[in-house]
Amino acid sequence: MRVRVLVVEDERKLAQVLASALQAEHYDVVIAPTGEDGFYRANAEAFDLVLLDLMLPGRNGLEILHTLRSRHVQTPVLILTARDGVDDRVRGLDLGADDYLVKPFALPELLARIRALLRRGRASDILRFKVADLEIDLVTRRATRAGGTLDLTVREFELLEYLFRHQGHVVSREMLAREVWKEPRRATPLDNVIDVQITRLRKKVDAEGARRLIHTVRGVGFMLREGEP
Amino acid sequence: MIGRWTAASIRARLTGWYALVLVAMLIVYATATYLAVRHEFLEQLDEQLHEEFEAAEARLTRTSDGRIAWREEEHHDADHEPERVFEVWSATGEQLHRSGAAVALPPAALAAANSSYRYETVTASGDRWRTIAAPVAVSGHAVTLRVSRSEERVLEQLWEVLVVLVLGLPLVVLMAGVGGYVLARRALQPIDHLANEAHRITAERLHQRLSVPNPRDEIGRLATVFNNTLARLESSFDQLRRFTADASHELRTPLAVVRGIGEAAVAERRSAPEYEEALGSILEEVDRMSNLVDTLLRLSRGDAGTIRLTQEATNLGDLAREAAASLGILAEERNQTLALDIRDGPIASVDRLVLREALTNVLDNAITYSPKGSTVALRVERMGDSAVIAVTDQGSGVPAEHRERIFDRFYRVDESRTRNGGGAGLGLAIAKWAVEMHGGAITVRDGPRGGSEFRIVLPIAPERHGRERPDTDMDRVTAS
Repeated sequence: MRVRVLVVEDERKLAQVLASALQAEHYDVVIAPTGEDGFYRANAEAFDLVLLDLMLPGRNGLEILHTLRSRHVQTPVLILTARDGVDDRVRGLDLGADDYLVKPFALPELLARIRALLRRGRASDILRFKVADLEIDLVTRRATRAGGTLDLTVREFELLEYLFRHQGHVVSREMLAREVWKEPRRATPLDNVIDVQITRLRKKVDAEGARRLIHTVRGVGFMLREGEP
Repeated sequence: MIGRWTAASIRARLTGWYALVLVAMLIVYATATYLAVRHEFLEQLDEQLHEEFEAAEARLTRTSDGRIAWREEEHHDADHEPERVFEVWSATGEQLHRSGAAVALPPAALAAANSSYRYETVTASGDRWRTIAAPVAVSGHAVTLRVSRSEERVLEQLWEVLVVLVLGLPLVVLMAGVGGYVLARRALQPIDHLANEAHRITAERLHQRLSVPNPRDEIGRLATVFNNTLARLESSFDQLRRFTADASHELRTPLAVVRGIGEAAVAERRSAPEYEEALGSILEEVDRMSNLVDTLLRLSRGDAGTIRLTQEATNLGDLAREAAASLGILAEERNQTLALDIRDGPIASVDRLVLREALTNVLDNAITYSPKGSTVALRVERMGDSAVIAVTDQGSGVPAEHRERIFDRFYRVDESRTRNGGGAGLGLAIAKWAVEMHGGAITVRDGPRGGSEFRIVLPIAPERHGRERPDTDMDRVTAS
């Protein structure tokens, strides 16, 4: 069955961008342009996920969230907002939001968060990954390309693991900064560090003559996949 | 106008309260005075009566036919005295003698066996009389002598006193009220003046200040406080103005790039890879703008003072090691040596993330502006009550004229290097902000072997008792 996503967003252009990005991921998308409509649909129909803008005409996003949760609608809710005050974030999560993304967000990041929310509750005990002839084993912490062991530093291995977990999808520098480098904030020095690290990893993984597996998506981020994106 | 009304209102209230308190005090005072005077007057009357009684007693005599009479003739006009009455009563209650004012006093109560004086106030024909009566012996004959005196004169005097007191009270209160009002107005006039001055200071004239005639009195303190507020307001306004101007300038450049790429792309039909290239460029610029906006927002929050630090005791040596570890790869790429010199890593109460970002920015700046193959040194040491983190590079150094402003937002020594370094000229501004949030200071000077040295000086808590040279084992000098 296809995953159904409700997008409650009054900004028409943004709603359409979201819809087309989600449809590219093979999700069914329903757009609710007002808070009232969003609340009505989230209440009446079955969705796997709700993307909720906080600043809506008619009805505030936090209000909708609160009412939904008090009526025991447990659909995962991802809040989108232009405000990134800590208080707003805490309030949103307190009221039962499952995740929180500040505008302007990168689409790869949004898609990764959505995948994580949809995956939640399901065990993800994958310990071995494979793309083409590149393999990593999370238990022995060994990476091989065409059978030959790759000599990776700890950071390079973590980076590769993260790319594997999101294989076929673009990961942004923000995601890498937060998830691999564990830095809460992305800063210019760190961007340079990430670029250098990716270059080094690529030298080891996509050695001379081998097929390229780590791709740079210009202006967006990096992606691990077989064949050109 | 509001200022005026409030001042007037305080003035009126002050005067009102003053008058009210005065009235209460005066009423108490007047009552006490009246009672004291009245008591004194009545006492005097009684004394007078007593004296007259004794005089009369001495002059009473018994005539040969057994009647009671005045001994001397000098009292012949006693009948015409309007205020006095002399009476003599027999033991059986019969009036033996009467002289003085023609008034019908009630008969005297017969004296009891004891011979003490008996004072009494009686009313006769609407007037009040004070009487003194006592048994006396006239030639061995027991009679009762009563001397009476009208109280009217005393009452009249008392009335006059009362009139003076009662009429004088509102007069005094009125005078005091007017005086109080004038005083209050004089006392509050500087506030009116202050309000008028303050009224003229608008956002456009924030450089103006209130005059402070006497900085030590209450009004002077108020004006000083207000002036300090104005100074802070002015500096934030200035900062905001500069910031807005710089920010719009910085955002214009990437916007122009985005627009140019987009316009060129749609101008004619292009191949898919060309479109991809164009979109990629646009996304890169957008990314740069998002980063810039994020940073600006953060700085503006820092200015507004809404960022709270989560401070905890932190080994600054560890912090330096973390920063060096995270940027080590950049130095490696440029064949630079990152030399760490950490002497008994001082412990300071800092926000790890905020301070590490500052350190990372300074270190990144040093790596970026140092030539390939050179050495970037990071030194952490304790100097008295301060911790010093010094980053020394072998770059071209910072010319003296730029040193003051190198930490300003968007300031770059070399304008041509603006966009290729990747940064927007905010790295050092953030470092400065972060260090100052911790009560420290950041400066730049010439390095010992050319290049420049950035020094971060942070206050640290005085060493706690019983802990000498913390973590000396861990913090042996390390150099790579």
